Amino acid sequence: MRDVLELALDDGSTLDIQRVRDPRAKRIKLSVDDRGARLTLPPRASLVAGERFVAAHLDWLTTQLRRHAPPPQAPLLPFSLSMLPLDGAERPLRWQQARFASLGPDPDDPAGLLFSFPPKATPAAAVRVVREFYLAHARAQVGSWLPSYLPGLPRPPRAFRFRPVRSQWGSLAPDGTVSLDLALVLARPSAFRYVLVHELCHLIEANHSKAFWAEVEARFPDWRAERDWLREYGGGVKARLRVLLDPGRAADLEQAAAALR
Amino acid sequence: MFFRNLTFFRYPASLNLDALDAGLDECQLKPVGPLELSSRGFISPFGRDSEVLAARQGDALWLTMGGEDRLLPGAVVNDMLARKLDEIEQKEGQRPGGRTRKRLKDELVTELLPRAFVKPSRTDALIDTTHGVIAIDTSSTKTGESVVSEVRRALGSFPALPLNAEIAPRSVLTGWVAGGEMPEGLVIGEECELRDPVDQGAVVKVQRMDLHSDEIARHLESGKQVTRLALSLDDHVSFVLGEDLVVRKFKLLEGAVDSLESTDADDMRAELDARFVLMAAETKRLFSVLESAMKLSRVEG
Repeated sequence: MRDVLELALDDGSTLDIQRVRDPRAKRIKLSVDDRGARLTLPPRASLVAGERFVAAHLDWLTTQLRRHAPPPQAPLLPFSLSMLPLDGAERPLRWQQARFASLGPDPDDPAGLLFSFPPKATPAAAVRVVREFYLAHARAQVGSWLPSYLPGLPRPPRAFRFRPVRSQWGSLAPDGTVSLDLALVLARPSAFRYVLVHELCHLIEANHSKAFWAEVEARFPDWRAERDWLREYGGGVKARLRVLLDPGRAADLEQAAAALR
Repeated sequence: MFFRNLTFFRYPASLNLDALDAGLDECQLKPVGPLELSSRGFISPFGRDSEVLAARQGDALWLTMGGEDRLLPGAVVNDMLARKLDEIEQKEGQRPGGRTRKRLKDELVTELLPRAFVKPSRTDALIDTTHGVIAIDTSSTKTGESVVSEVRRALGSFPALPLNAEIAPRSVLTGWVAGGEMPEGLVIGEECELRDPVDQGAVVKVQRMDLHSDEIARHLESGKQVTRLALSLDDHVSFVLGEDLVVRKFKLLEGAVDSLESTDADDMRAELDARFVLMAAETKRLFSVLESAMKLSRVEG
């Protein structure tokens, strides 16, 4: 079962809560992430019990929702989006009509980005260009940081993979492939660097033991601050990337554009 | 020994390769044993009868990884197993269980392996010790990695990394086709692959076509991007560069081969040496062009 529970609040507004019945759930659970609130019910719990549970924890829920509210991010609409997040900052985005789609530094504005885009191309093409741009930026960052960490590793990483990931920031496969969340290019660079160091240290210690954290500490003494930053703001960063690279949203925009034509 | 494909890996140029010769001796190709499926090791670049395991010219090093694989098609084993199982079923009135089947299969493989054909293979690699680059004559990442791991076995440590471009190769290639500025010496050929950026999007592959034509321009205007592009460098080499930074269809053109024919190649060895020098020089030049065009990362701080 999966439906939406509409809750009327005191101030007159309504709150939508995803209600899910999970056969593996042991007890009623209320959770909040950047997608909103979710109520998980075990097989035997009644709907009324669920509603009563929500009512009892309404204060907690509103606080959490405020904390997890996704930061505003406009969808990627060609010739309209004016700011693009990169390296923990907002970069002004200038659009220009061109023969082919590309995104790069703006020659007129050192802090800005220039998006060349053919007028006939679809919003989905813009999504792909932004993804490529973020990928290239991620590779460039890793390429510039990696050499200083290579000495002292038992083996070099086999390859780097960047893609949007739901909850993790990075992982190391047994074959030495380092996977990193593409959203890291939106985070502040020091946080990105910490995640890279963290995964590289797994080449030495494939666990989270004290010995592992000692290796991280030796290479990145300020790791606690970055870990806390990721815990506090990481969800928002992931949410923004999801909005930007959402092909469904791009398809909707495409339909809207077609209707206008 | 002209390479057909080039897969590059970078390693720190400061790495000392002095221990390589001893390592190569230790990691020579051993003939595949009667019950082994495959065997890998170094062979002489000048052919299996030759003794030298590495050729050196200046800062270039030429290695060859040899391989022997036994060919035992699964269908053959399965067919014989099915026949054997039928026989047993006839005799005993019931079909043998899983464990027996597995045992019978193992027995069959042990029986057939020593009789299976041995397929020899070789993969050449060039090491440029000045740049810290190893170029492997393959377009497959897997084969490339197996050569690198053989070198690692011989040296003890060989921190080679696949190429890392700091800009999107796709957008660079697209820029070139769209008439953007090209690095000096590079000229666009007559082959390319265009992809629509959406997942499962359209793919257009063209060969023997003028890439500056209107048709291609229209594809670019609709948002397609170039993922493979034929190029030539100074009329010396032609190749197809992919967005994965693998060089395919690598071919020396007349401009380069001219210099080869003028050498007096009276015996095989001198000819191979001359080809090696030529190949090493062209690869080095191509790599330095790619390095600046694609902003390839260095592996040393």
